[in-house]
Amino acid sequence: MGVGRSARGRGGAASGVLLALAAALLAAGSASEYDYVSFQSDIGSYQSGRFYTKPPQCVDIPVDLRLCHNVGYKKMVLPNLLEHETMAEVKQQASSWVPLLNKNCHMGTQVFLCSLFAPVCLDRPIYPCRWLCEAVRDSCEPVMQFFGFYWPEMLKCDKFPEGDVCIAMTPPNTTEASKPQGTTVCPPCDNELKSEAIIEHLCASEFALRMKIKEVKKENGDKKIVPKKKKPLKLGPIKKKELKRLVLFLKNGADCPCHQLDNLSHNFLIMGRKVKSQYLLTAIHKWDKKNKEFKNFMKRMKNHECPTFQSVFK
Amino acid sequence: MSPRSCLRSLRLLVFAVFSAAASNWLYLAKLSSVGSISEEETCEKLKGLIQRQVQMCKRNLEVMDSVRRGAQLAIEECQYQFRNRRWNCSTLDSLPVFGKVVTQGTREAAFVYAISSAGVAFAVTRACSSGELEKCGCDRTVHGVSPQGFQWSGCSDNIAYGVAFSQSFVDVRERSKGASSSRALMNLHNNEAGRKAILTHMRVECKCHGVSGSCEVKTCWRAVPPFRQVGHALKEKFDGATEVEPRRVGSSRALVPRNAQFKPHTDEDLVYLEPSPDFCEQDIRSGVLGTRGRTCNKTSKAIDGCELLCCGRGFHTAQVELAERCGCRFHWCCFVKCRQCQRLVEMHTCR
Repeated sequence: MGVGRSARGRGGAASGVLLALAAALLAAGSASEYDYVSFQSDIGSYQSGRFYTKPPQCVDIPVDLRLCHNVGYKKMVLPNLLEHETMAEVKQQASSWVPLLNKNCHMGTQVFLCSLFAPVCLDRPIYPCRWLCEAVRDSCEPVMQFFGFYWPEMLKCDKFPEGDVCIAMTPPNTTEASKPQGTTVCPPCDNELKSEAIIEHLCASEFALRMKIKEVKKENGDKKIVPKKKKPLKLGPIKKKELKRLVLFLKNGADCPCHQLDNLSHNFLIMGRKVKSQYLLTAIHKWDKKNKEFKNFMKRMKNHECPTFQSVFK
Repeated sequence: MSPRSCLRSLRLLVFAVFSAAASNWLYLAKLSSVGSISEEETCEKLKGLIQRQVQMCKRNLEVMDSVRRGAQLAIEECQYQFRNRRWNCSTLDSLPVFGKVVTQGTREAAFVYAISSAGVAFAVTRACSSGELEKCGCDRTVHGVSPQGFQWSGCSDNIAYGVAFSQSFVDVRERSKGASSSRALMNLHNNEAGRKAILTHMRVECKCHGVSGSCEVKTCWRAVPPFRQVGHALKEKFDGATEVEPRRVGSSRALVPRNAQFKPHTDEDLVYLEPSPDFCEQDIRSGVLGTRGRTCNKTSKAIDGCELLCCGRGFHTAQVELAERCGCRFHWCCFVKCRQCQRLVEMHTCR
């Protein structure tokens, strides 16, 4: 199944190349030498619609734009291609995509997302290739669904170019194989045990708890997790009175392997979010004070402040 | 003052003397965009303004750059919408900007008046939203939660201000003529139709900023449509414009359809008093350039086809080699590389 999706992605790339060749062949004359579209020159082409509020400009990608600061280029156009008009807005909207990057569901995820959130500075807007969008969507949406998310309207693939000039990073390994999804993957449990990643996940999650687990059972295709003792680190949408009767769900994860739950005698770090009336697990770590990375996380958590973006939408 | 500037000023002076009776504020579009209208003395020097408009200019100095931008927008849109027609909205270097095409009560004049008043309303509204004009700003009456359940936020376009200013500035010339003039009535009607074309196409724009781009959280604002859309709407009104004549209705005069079998026009329709010339031959005194030398489409039966555009005079055919970019590809990271391609095309021009 994964192989099938990859094949489709490659097909898209191939058709893009063929279209480019066809365009060249259709020209009556012969092709002459290359010329370059100017870099970072007048970007007036971006003017349209709401963008008149802030004329487009080429700005540095800030270090705290975690989604894109290491994408491979250092400057971006603001407003971006998702109509985010201020850097504060870009950061706020991009922050919820950072945990997806850590899932490594597709090697083109960052290039795809950053081509929209932090578009490269060229003389006209260049969108990601449709095939790249489709490849990332097909590989990553199953992972997103574990957290109660679906592929958003703003990233719908049919709005991206096919055959026209577009952004894609040619992977060095052309025989890319995405991980098979479903029965062998459990995204909330497949988290890297690195303090920086845990911190970012903590900021992206709505609530976080230190707790012991009484029991785990299956319910309607989900894993139902019944806590024993719980200490809130971040309450978010959980009201105090709800905390007593709190029950967590690992969405669509009834049969997926979650090694952290093999032994329930430990304390756990649990992160999640509320979707309708259910509290969904987004990450679980064993509360392991002996682990160097986890110890580092605990130290950093004491004085780390998650970014606040309240001023973006007034 | 450079010799060229001297010559230009002299020419402007000469034309101003002869054209004073037919002044037209659209000439603002011809001003250099480098300079800004920022002093009251500048108002006195602007060609094409009547005295009342000069006074408005002095009282609203900060709005005048938007008026100029509106004039430019109107001319560009007119030239786009009429690019395939015999009269293609070409402009002159003298007053009036469009020549007698506009001073006569033709269908083309109807379009020009409508697109011009729309251009001013549009440009002023945008200047409000961008913060360029401090006296207006966003439409603050749009706030809270909408009946559809989303939150109003962002900057809703203050179209009421733009329309009101357009009415004050553009219509003042017609109102100064008195209500008895048929031409004034026609112009007032078409000016208002232009502004209505924006009002009826106002839309709601939204932004989803829930987690992961979802629309759990959504804010919306009211926005003017793209000006191209306004141009399209008015072009359709132009195609279906109503020929009218003045008639006494009660104690006042009104414009009624010349052909009684036609249904009455609405506030959004364009009206005209005089039939149009055929625009085939050059008539410099009228500002008509004719169609000689125009590019035409050999295979088209529409107005842009060679038969119609060339008025039956025939056309020349030539082989032209076009150089253009092709095969553009994005290279990581980050530049776009294109090839130069030559393409041989047939070009047809009117005799």
